Amino acid sequence: MEKHKIKKFINKLITEEHESFEKAASEDELDKSKRIGTNLEITLDLFKDFYTVPNNSDVIIRNIEIAGLNKQAAILYISSISDIKVIEEFIIQPLLFNKEETKDIEIILSSPKIQKYQIIEDILKQINNGNTALFVDEEPNAFIINTSNFQGRGVEKAENEVVVKGPKESFNEEAITNISLIRKKIRDEKLMVESTTISKRAKNELYLLYINDVANDDLLNNIRKKLNSLDVDSIQNLSVLEEYIEDHKKSIFPTILYTERPDRAAEFIEDGFIVLIMDNSPDALILPATFWSFFHNAEDHYLRFLYGNFIRFLRLLALFITLFIAAIYIAITNFHVEMIPADLLLAISSTREIVPFPALVEMLMLEIAFELIREGGLRVPKPIGPTIGIVGALILGQAAVQANLVSPLVVIIVALGGLSSFAIGDTNLNYAVRIMRFPFVISAGFFGLYGITALFTIVLFYMTSIKSFGVPYFAPMTPNDSTSKETIFRRLLNNEIYRPGYLKPKDIEKKAGE
Amino acid sequence: MDNTKGILGTREFFAILIITIGTKLTDNTPSALFEKVGSGAWITIILMCLISIIPIYLLTKVITVFEEKNLVEIINHLFGKYIGFIVLFIIWLVETYSTVLGSAVYADIIETLYFVQTPLFILYIILIGVAAYGAKKGIEFIGSTAWMTLIGLNIALFVVLITAFFQGRINYLFPILGNGMVEIIKESTTNASIYGDFLYLGLIATALRSKNVYKKGIWMGYIYITIVFVLSVIAYNMLFDYISIVQINYPFHEAIRYIQLGFLTNAESLFLPFWLIASFIRFAFYLYISALLFGALFKIKKFEYIVPPLALLIVFVGLIPEAPVFSVFHMKEQFIFFTTPFFLFLPLIIWMTAKFKGELKK
Repeated sequence: MEKHKIKKFINKLITEEHESFEKAASEDELDKSKRIGTNLEITLDLFKDFYTVPNNSDVIIRNIEIAGLNKQAAILYISSISDIKVIEEFIIQPLLFNKEETKDIEIILSSPKIQKYQIIEDILKQINNGNTALFVDEEPNAFIINTSNFQGRGVEKAENEVVVKGPKESFNEEAITNISLIRKKIRDEKLMVESTTISKRAKNELYLLYINDVANDDLLNNIRKKLNSLDVDSIQNLSVLEEYIEDHKKSIFPTILYTERPDRAAEFIEDGFIVLIMDNSPDALILPATFWSFFHNAEDHYLRFLYGNFIRFLRLLALFITLFIAAIYIAITNFHVEMIPADLLLAISSTREIVPFPALVEMLMLEIAFELIREGGLRVPKPIGPTIGIVGALILGQAAVQANLVSPLVVIIVALGGLSSFAIGDTNLNYAVRIMRFPFVISAGFFGLYGITALFTIVLFYMTSIKSFGVPYFAPMTPNDSTSKETIFRRLLNNEIYRPGYLKPKDIEKKAGE
Repeated sequence: MDNTKGILGTREFFAILIITIGTKLTDNTPSALFEKVGSGAWITIILMCLISIIPIYLLTKVITVFEEKNLVEIINHLFGKYIGFIVLFIIWLVETYSTVLGSAVYADIIETLYFVQTPLFILYIILIGVAAYGAKKGIEFIGSTAWMTLIGLNIALFVVLITAFFQGRINYLFPILGNGMVEIIKESTTNASIYGDFLYLGLIATALRSKNVYKKGIWMGYIYITIVFVLSVIAYNMLFDYISIVQINYPFHEAIRYIQLGFLTNAESLFLPFWLIASFIRFAFYLYISALLFGALFKIKKFEYIVPPLALLIVFVGLIPEAPVFSVFHMKEQFIFFTTPFFLFLPLIIWMTAKFKGELKK
């Protein structure tokens, strides 16, 4: 208690106050919540102030005189994110060439979507989204015409979650495209696309996708509450948002699934999960996520029953090999030598004879080198990538053995572990497993199999206690859930008739009607 | 959304039961049986099983009648504040002491059979440390971990048993009755080393999904434990014969050294991890129960916080006996001799009190 007080006191002394800054921000807020006036001049001056025109070079204000009505008007748009052709064709031309004198503005304009706004803040938001605002003299409303046109790339092939069989398209950086990719797969009027603004200054929009009569309301409210409680100026994309809404931020295990495949996102939505989509993110966040959702892959269900389970088995094997092979090598050579058949033991010891380091140091050296090659290879500019790969793999490995720095067996083991790690498709789980290899190797160096097992048990205890938005990490394996048995192996599609019960979906059966 | 807090299903409960009691067949419990009855040890187990039906049945009956209560609350309710305190205190003492003895034995196994050069103290600290971590997390996570590892552990056990059957000699099973029927009956009524632990499971009855789960789990576990114990005692007997098995303190570990798996002539390190996982879970459960009882005795609501000090206490007390192979073995036998009546009669007394108070009719 005493310590706490002293800490608080010292903190008070150290921290500087930022009162003046905060005030400025709040004054700005006040101004924005007003309505616009009927005087065009004043309104335009106001918006010029907000956008600091003419210094802000892509904010365009164009004055027009509406023919026929003989009224002064002005349009305001940001040229870099609006479609100039649309503005010209659907706004400027109809206004300039109008002949009738009594028509409403809305009737003159030929644009497909027109909205009226009075509050300055709303108008600013619309303009920032690429829409065009039309201000007319003696008119209390601003007309917002949909002209937004952000630049982006088209729908491309998925690069990180590659499948051989099944759809290949992946999300891109435009939320609208991503939503349409999902809508293409779920033609259901109950598919909700709920949008909320999650940051205070940059006004980033987030879209929640779920099926209204399937997704659990408590889960939805829980997520909404979390999103509404965010108090930050800017959240650029989903990768950043992930950390803001995670329950276990410092945990080594991920609790939110991140996918770039619309088919996978759609599959999860149909099961009652909730998917988050945002502009600037070529991916979707799926929550809640269990260990199994990281372990599974889109292709498991696309391949035939046996083949799908075969690759799942391979993945499980890869997971264990990546985690344990280096540690087990250390444990056996240092502590449990009697386990190896005599011939193999002699072979191992003859290769180890010339190496000057203890096995643990040797292993750690090569593991770290492998991680470096991997990280370096990822960041290297494309044209020289293959060269670096050859240098890394061939020359380093070969030369290290010839220089008696490492024994050939260790090279084999590190290479096998490294290769296996690529079979774990999910980026987050991949990192978790790769990092965990090191504690396992070190514990094996100290206590052999005893150390490995002790650490493994601790990890298991820890993993069972993780929850992702209230869902236990190993559900439905434990706590036991008889509805969905989608864990290590998949079942025949005919038998997968239930949605996962741990989500408490409103509709538990996947079959329609009876 | 947090719909699973503190709730154990049948699977998890069953897994806890199997692992905590089942691991006993890997320590010195079986060799203690052989000492008196010779090759009739497996018959002793069947007799023990039959005798303990009564207390287990009565206990289950009482626990299922009180829907909302676990054994602690039932004891307090039936015996009142003071006698209830004394009874719970005895259970706590017995439980903690047996944890001390048990963990000393396990640390000794690890030290003498696998890690001869590592100091006992460090091995012991790791054993109890891991268990304390699990106990601190809570019973539902012990249960989940137990269930997740149960399949692997059982596969490993059955590989050992089946190879032992193939590599042992059936002649060693004779004489079937060992040292005679009298010895068998004497031993089976004075030894609750296997079935006594069923009492502790009543303490977590409220952490289960329902009392039905409790009933199902207990009886399934009861049958499974008996089968596994009988099979493994027969396997040990076939491998070592009843005379030399008395000399062996830890027959399971000798057995995995003795058997050969194809080209692997020394397979014991292959089975070591499985056995270790089971031991960690076992002591996690015992530590949890010890903390739970302590919390119930002294009205500490967040009893998870007692786990670390209790764990330290257990380590230091467990380190006291020198040469645990002999001393702890002997102490454990004495201890079992004294506590058996307690385990046999406590359920009977609880049931009778409930009956006389008219609580069972509801």
